[in-house]
Amino acid sequence: MELIQQTVNALSIGAIYALIALGYTMVYGVLKLLNFAHGEMFMLGAFFSYWLIAQVVGSSETLSFLQFVGIGLSILFSCLLVGLVAMLLERIVYRPLRGKPRLSPLLGALGMSIVLQNVVQISVGPGIFAYPTLFGSTRIEIGGIGINRTAIVIIGLSVALMAALQVFLQRSRTGVRIRALAEDHEIARLIGIEINKPIAAIFFIGGALGALGGVLYAANYGVMQFSMGTIVGLKAFTAAVLGGIGSVPGAVLGGFLLGLLETFAAGLLPKLTGGLIGTEYRDVVAFAVLIVVLIFRPSGLLGRPEGTGEASDKKDF
Amino acid sequence: MNQPHPFPGFSHAIVRWGVLAALVGVIFFAVPLMAKVYELRVLNNLLLYMLLGAGLTIVVGYAGLLDLGFVAFYAIGAYSYAILASAQFDFHLPFLLVLAIGTILAAFTGLLLGYPVMRLRGDYLAIVTLGFGEIIRIIINNWNGLTNGPKGIARIDRPDLLGWQITTPRDLYLFLLVVVILVYTLVFRLERSLLGKAWRAMREDQVALRASGVDTTRLKLLAFALSASIGGAAGVFFAASQRFVSPESFVLHESILIVVIVVIGGVANLIGTVIGAFVVVIVPELLRGYQDYRMLLFGLLLVLGIILRPEGLVPQRYGIGWILKKTGWR
Amino acid sequence: MKKVVIAVAGLAIISGATSASGQDAGTFHIGAAAPLSGPQAIFGQGLTNGMQLYFDQLNAAGGLPGGHKVELVKADDRADPREGVLVAQKFCDDEQMIGVLAHFNSGVTIPSLDVYGGCSMPQVTVSSNPQVTQLGFGHVFRAANDDYAQAQLSASYAIETLKEKRAAIIQDKQAFGEGVAKIFEDKFKALGGEVTSVSGVNSTDVDFGPVITSLKAENPDMVYVGAVMPQLALIVRQMREQGIKASYFVPDGGFTPDLFAQAGKDNAEGTLITFQVPPYDSKPELVAFAKAYREKFGKEPDTYDAYGYLAAWIVGETLKGMSKADVNRENLIKALHATNLKNSLLGIDVSFTEHGDLKGGLAFLYKATDGQFKLVK
Repeated sequence: MELIQQTVNALSIGAIYALIALGYTMVYGVLKLLNFAHGEMFMLGAFFSYWLIAQVVGSSETLSFLQFVGIGLSILFSCLLVGLVAMLLERIVYRPLRGKPRLSPLLGALGMSIVLQNVVQISVGPGIFAYPTLFGSTRIEIGGIGINRTAIVIIGLSVALMAALQVFLQRSRTGVRIRALAEDHEIARLIGIEINKPIAAIFFIGGALGALGGVLYAANYGVMQFSMGTIVGLKAFTAAVLGGIGSVPGAVLGGFLLGLLETFAAGLLPKLTGGLIGTEYRDVVAFAVLIVVLIFRPSGLLGRPEGTGEASDKKDF
Repeated sequence: MNQPHPFPGFSHAIVRWGVLAALVGVIFFAVPLMAKVYELRVLNNLLLYMLLGAGLTIVVGYAGLLDLGFVAFYAIGAYSYAILASAQFDFHLPFLLVLAIGTILAAFTGLLLGYPVMRLRGDYLAIVTLGFGEIIRIIINNWNGLTNGPKGIARIDRPDLLGWQITTPRDLYLFLLVVVILVYTLVFRLERSLLGKAWRAMREDQVALRASGVDTTRLKLLAFALSASIGGAAGVFFAASQRFVSPESFVLHESILIVVIVVIGGVANLIGTVIGAFVVVIVPELLRGYQDYRMLLFGLLLVLGIILRPEGLVPQRYGIGWILKKTGWR
Repeated sequence: MKKVVIAVAGLAIISGATSASGQDAGTFHIGAAAPLSGPQAIFGQGLTNGMQLYFDQLNAAGGLPGGHKVELVKADDRADPREGVLVAQKFCDDEQMIGVLAHFNSGVTIPSLDVYGGCSMPQVTVSSNPQVTQLGFGHVFRAANDDYAQAQLSASYAIETLKEKRAAIIQDKQAFGEGVAKIFEDKFKALGGEVTSVSGVNSTDVDFGPVITSLKAENPDMVYVGAVMPQLALIVRQMREQGIKASYFVPDGGFTPDLFAQAGKDNAEGTLITFQVPPYDSKPELVAFAKAYREKFGKEPDTYDAYGYLAAWIVGETLKGMSKADVNRENLIKALHATNLKNSLLGIDVSFTEHGDLKGGLAFLYKATDGQFKLVK
């Protein structure tokens, strides 16, 4: 019984990791860039939607139908806005650094992460904000297993969006271009694929999904702070690598797997080891599993195996 | 020899030695006399991060392996000294002995980490090293019996160098300066050695290098161990200068800062590493007057710097070798 | 060209900072160091807000006897021990500085002791790690209790008044959280209680679902959490959502209106919080502080606002008792050792032991009731 409950716990946090991991993985797939500022998209999503929702809801206690629609639109709008911010970031910081030494864009991303966090800290203060529970905090109990309404929304919405993304990448023109770019930059350019637009699209999609992750996360836990993106961004990055960075299904698998790992480590470690190793070693377990997985599958679970003749194989970065 | 020397006077040995003597005089005697204690402490931080930067330069710059968990070795060095020379267990081993222990322990850990992960490519290696750094920090934070956990270890012995007690920031400055000069000379010679050339070849094209029969795994392991040992030594100096260590000093952010040092100045260039340490240590101190805007401006400067100079602030050709050549030493 | 402009702008930014601070020879400086950026900035800001409020009041009332003003010089230590030491030295080098209120984190305060001790700087801290005053430095004073009073109060109230037998403990593996949790555990066991489990979590966690699910099976009477905000709020919220009815004890960090906002008023209801300050309506000086705070910052004071004000008050009131010519670092240390101040925020007369610990500090137990904190013990 407890195991089933823990699995349910794991799914909701795993879904959020997966949503954010998608942004990491898509950008990496095409640009081979670790976008360390991606966690800030998550944070901005929470802050933008907080502000917009406050405008819609005002001080009313009960919500009218129109206000419900307004909340939905606020979320949508803040995701789009963050998507634009991500595009802007690409245009201003990453594009000038494209084709430069691999570590330079990484540094640009780090710098932007510092900048964005501090802009938010300065404009709204360092405080922890109580985020409204958008979907109600009622818990649904089925046969002794409880799940939050927010958690159901999180799992449902993320799975749906990830499926939609996969269809988009497989079927649409932009999607095909993105995949061609991920396959091989040079050849894609040689056969005349314009590269700037697909790259902008990737940043937009990644940013918007990250922002949605931020909204759902804040709504689920009820708090947000300017520094919230750092840890979650790191987790999502881990998830993306676990699944095979550059692979969209891999990011989803990695996200859920990391959620499960963390949850079971925190829930079961003291019991399995007779109290010798406590719950505080949760992250050690998660990282140790990651390392072991990578030793046996050096490109992650679903990543493309090494030695397919990619130019980047020759260099480490 | 056909080209005219850019500074003709420099070819005279007397002038060269004179300039060097003046430089040494200023750095060793004038700086510690003139600087306020605060400035000396900032300089000590600079020297410490120059060491860390030099260590990471070996792995990231020369061998081309992105290591995001460098702070683990720094932590191992620091805790070696904290545990072996403090009131924690009432061990009071001499400083130089612990320095050797910390350095070897860190190098050994580097090998231990390096061995299983050497097959990994760039960014997979990055996350594995990051995870390793976090694992070390979490263990330090939780193993209360050995490390005193989150409370940290206080009352660490003052370092004693064969009778010279390092007590004031000025002593520490002089000591660290000597260490930095030694380590930089060593790392520079490494860069120029056969090993350094092999690393560069590996960085450019490891497939070709492997095809020509070179064991790249050994090259990588050597890079890891050497860089880890410098990180470990820096950790010993850190613990000895703060006389207190706690897990807060060894967070991921610190690893990232050291990567920034290596990259912003110019990868695989020791002059660049010095500039990088300056950016990371001195600039935030210079920005203190801006109060709340300090870190924002620091971030902006980083971004501007890298956009303006994507190869790093100091281009690779202007390294120590270039200076030596221009001034007629080589 | 563009590059040159940007580069010049960059240099201008760097050089502009050094000339930013003004100097006025007739003022005393008091240094305040705390994390003002990064995730812990919220605590550092509360702390320094409280200090600022006190010195603003002091200066508005004409300053020290003799008309001397006191300027609070704030510096960000980013909760980083290395940076804390640099800030400490900067304060030491400032000749107008006669005392410091530093630092917030015990892990930063401890390495700073060596520096402040070296320049005989009176140091008043709110760091609660007992070690701070036990390292043999004569210049440091703790303007708060150490961890013992509050954690032991929780344990004895649970056992003696609520007759609870079984406690589960969650702690965030930080110096403060682990410290209070351990003291609580020892006291609870000494009084005959049983501790069902001690779970360590990360100080940055927000999801406590797994820990709470396994805690639920233990069916404890009470849960004690050694942590700070927002974790104190998040844990009670997730506990109540999972249907755990056990009573909920937290240390002083929970004494903030944020507890209700972040946990939800219903979830926070009944939470038992220990705090060192008596109710804000119980004494005139407390009423005055709360009123002034509300007027200046437009909200209720948090835990650390009150502690910051208190630390500043101790230094300011001690300075008031000194003649202007006598004011220097060494004399302020002596004066603080001898100080005996009536009508403090703590509801006790403030004086220090020879180690610099607060004498006779109290802890009060509050219960979250209908969006307010009601004193229960």
